[in-house]
Amino acid sequence: MAAKGLFNVQCKLLICDVGRILEPNNSISRPLLCYQQNRGKRIARPSKIAPRPWFVRKKATPHMKYLTEENKELLDNVALHQYKNQPSPLRDEPWPRNEWTPSVRRAGLLGVKIGVQPQWKKDGTRILCQLIQIVDNHVIRYTPPEEYQKSLGYKPMSPTCYGSLVVGAMSTHPWNYSKAYHNLFLEAGVPPKRKLTRFLITPDAAIQPGTPLSVHHFKVGQYVNCSAKTIARGFQGVMKRWGFSGGPASHGSTKFHRRPGSISSGMDRGIVKGKKMPGWMGNDWRTLSNVKIWRINTKYNVLYVSVGIPGPHHGYVRINDSVTHKIKQKYVEAGKQFPMPTYYEDDATEPYPEDIYDEELFPMTENSITFEQTE
Amino acid sequence: MIRFPLKSKPRKFKYVLTGCGSGPQERVDFLKKMVTSLIRHERIEGRADKMHETRAYAEQLINLAIQHGDRHEPTMKMADEWLLEKDLVHKLFKVLAPRYQQYATAFTSVHLLPAEYPGQGRFKAVLELKGNPYPDIIPRERETRYLLTNILLSAAGRDFYAEQNRLQELNTKSETVVKDSQEVNTSYENNVSEISIKDNVKVASSTDNFKESDQTSVSK
Amino acid sequence: MPTMSGLYLFKQCPRLVPPVIDAAKCNIQLISRSLYTVPNETLEKQRTSPLNRNPELRKQSKHRVLNSKEVSEFRDRLPEFLPNPNPEHRDRISEILERQDMVNRRRNIDIPEFYVGSILAVTIADKYAPGKDGRFVGICIHREEHGLRHKFILRNVIDKQGVEIMYEMYNPLILKIEVLKQEKRLDDSLLYLRDCPLEYSYIPQDLKGQMIHKGVQVPVNKTKVPLGPRPWSQRWDRFDLKGVEEFTDWRSEKARIRALESRQHPQVAKPWEKVDLIKHYKENINPVEAEEIYGEVDKDSKNWKND
Repeated sequence: MAAKGLFNVQCKLLICDVGRILEPNNSISRPLLCYQQNRGKRIARPSKIAPRPWFVRKKATPHMKYLTEENKELLDNVALHQYKNQPSPLRDEPWPRNEWTPSVRRAGLLGVKIGVQPQWKKDGTRILCQLIQIVDNHVIRYTPPEEYQKSLGYKPMSPTCYGSLVVGAMSTHPWNYSKAYHNLFLEAGVPPKRKLTRFLITPDAAIQPGTPLSVHHFKVGQYVNCSAKTIARGFQGVMKRWGFSGGPASHGSTKFHRRPGSISSGMDRGIVKGKKMPGWMGNDWRTLSNVKIWRINTKYNVLYVSVGIPGPHHGYVRINDSVTHKIKQKYVEAGKQFPMPTYYEDDATEPYPEDIYDEELFPMTENSITFEQTE
Repeated sequence: MIRFPLKSKPRKFKYVLTGCGSGPQERVDFLKKMVTSLIRHERIEGRADKMHETRAYAEQLINLAIQHGDRHEPTMKMADEWLLEKDLVHKLFKVLAPRYQQYATAFTSVHLLPAEYPGQGRFKAVLELKGNPYPDIIPRERETRYLLTNILLSAAGRDFYAEQNRLQELNTKSETVVKDSQEVNTSYENNVSEISIKDNVKVASSTDNFKESDQTSVSK
Repeated sequence: MPTMSGLYLFKQCPRLVPPVIDAAKCNIQLISRSLYTVPNETLEKQRTSPLNRNPELRKQSKHRVLNSKEVSEFRDRLPEFLPNPNPEHRDRISEILERQDMVNRRRNIDIPEFYVGSILAVTIADKYAPGKDGRFVGICIHREEHGLRHKFILRNVIDKQGVEIMYEMYNPLILKIEVLKQEKRLDDSLLYLRDCPLEYSYIPQDLKGQMIHKGVQVPVNKTKVPLGPRPWSQRWDRFDLKGVEEFTDWRSEKARIRALESRQHPQVAKPWEKVDLIKHYKENINPVEAEEIYGEVDKDSKNWKND
């Protein structure tokens, strides 16, 4: 009888996948919670700010307060010793490596915006470049498509051919984080990371957990998609948020300088869903697609990329291969190959130069540009 | 150089003094009063935002005094502007500048006080010059060296460092052996040896125990 | 007992609280930038932390220690090597990369020492010119921006018409920069020459260069320029200009008095800005950082190209 009661509870909790969960063989480690779909264009802002319910608690209660300085130093040393001498998961047999084809979707990187600088092309035109640094990236976990579809991160009705790969950036001091957060990194064998992201990839581009990722994952001249969170501007009116023209400045207009005007017509219809209205602006994921990589600095792991990426200074950026069909065809015609599934240090036959420039870009180490005389 | 994080934009004071305006001129006038009283008394109390703002100005004034000395005309003018009581100019160059000559930290410190109640619920703060003759604001810290966690941790530390020294000696010996036999290990196996794995397990278990004990001590 | 005494003291003193934000402000805190950005200090910690896979350890640079007089000389001579002082745009690594680019450019082209007020001749590669290059002579009236964006404006008179060209200093199209006459003026910016009679900004195109003696203090040209009739591009009577004669050609006596009064109005004169220590501190790079930057520049300047 207890099972029957449990069934009722689960039916209330779950809207979409009731049958799949009641199968006896399926074992799901993550908590079962309602994934309610939000329809319409905009989703309520607080739900976006709050972390997803299946995320583990990140920060631990501070216990370091009462320790003496010698003991704090000891704990630092122990952490360093533990992570440096840990048996790496990479010592097992490496996973099979495939060749790049246009149907492959590779993993991406997690970077930080560090500034904008001008650069010049070889014909003398000036362009602006966004600098993105990639600080200490590692692969944390890979889940194949079959398991990924059972998890709560999977959105219903989305394509089933992708698995998920988690990438983390910036290894931090382990004593500040909870035990549940530590357990995420057991498989990869790296210290806990400050920031995590997930990329959807095809199974032939899967990377073993624990492998470091660097700038060489991409090539110069490649086109990428960059997505980041826009600057949060709080509750804004209709003119700033959606670019409405507002009302007239004079000619008898009272209290109607920045208003939206009429919202809808008729008593029965009501307001259309997704109507542009005042509300919370910014703090939202936006992608800039097909951004060119102009230059790579291998010493500091910095990408020089076309300008226009959303977000403030020192904001996180997800960088991914572009998915445009025409661009992929150009790669195939040029016979380009990308490091699959990623770049390994053993691949390098020659040491890389400090700066790798695009063919069109002017290297700053060369003499100034001159044009030849033609008749 | 100011050695604490500055706000990128200046704080705006609303109604700095009752009956006066709230423009930028009044703001500077108010800050001048606060800086003079800080250098006079070496410890003052007031609203938290105003204390944070006066801190930067007082510190920069001392910075200039250290950098240029009293023979520099623009700094002398600044001191004359900012110190409303003129005997304090002497104190700035003769007492404070030598005192902070070799400081590697900030010259002042701010301590937050509880919010005023009953009242508007604003936070108050204490601003003081370091090295002043008054007793300390923060009470003397508890002697935590003899807490159980610290005693256990220091004992574990002795073992840990001894083990590390022993491992280093072993490694140096094994390297010579490897060179003789001319075996080349892979890069991953080079770092990992059986001994180090055992050591890891030991250390991990010991630290776990300490964590638990630490929690219990805090709860008690 | 030591523990008890500590507790006793704690009771005596006013209760110290950590900086907690108001409950009303919690909503603002939710959308604070800390959720999707890294503060500058923590990013610096991450780059250098030993837990990082390839920790980028800070080396102490071995440059010659400069005294304050030398630093101020460098500030005058190479102002573009200092980064933008706005703390919202600062980053250590991007500044290093920018400086590296500038130094690499200076190894290939001789960029001589010049100031606002000195006379220059600049040749650039031009695709559409008959000889594929063009030369322009003029007075440098303005220098602005930091790093690779640094630019300067040259002004001259051609066919009784004032002409100005703005050059980016690190643009690779620039083939040659010659200093025909090295001197300073009384002001930092000579943009007021736009509203002066044309004879004061005329320089013949075939002017021959003077010899520049190194190690000699740069001479200051103390000529004072009369302003032309109003209206001007900016209200020059409100600026504190030293290189301009006092304007006398007012429309009426009333207009002159009104201009004088408006100049002394607090919203125009802004007397508090001259006293504001922190404003001045934020708008300039502080001497400790400037010494570090110029020390490395000084060390590298031996490899620069000198014609």
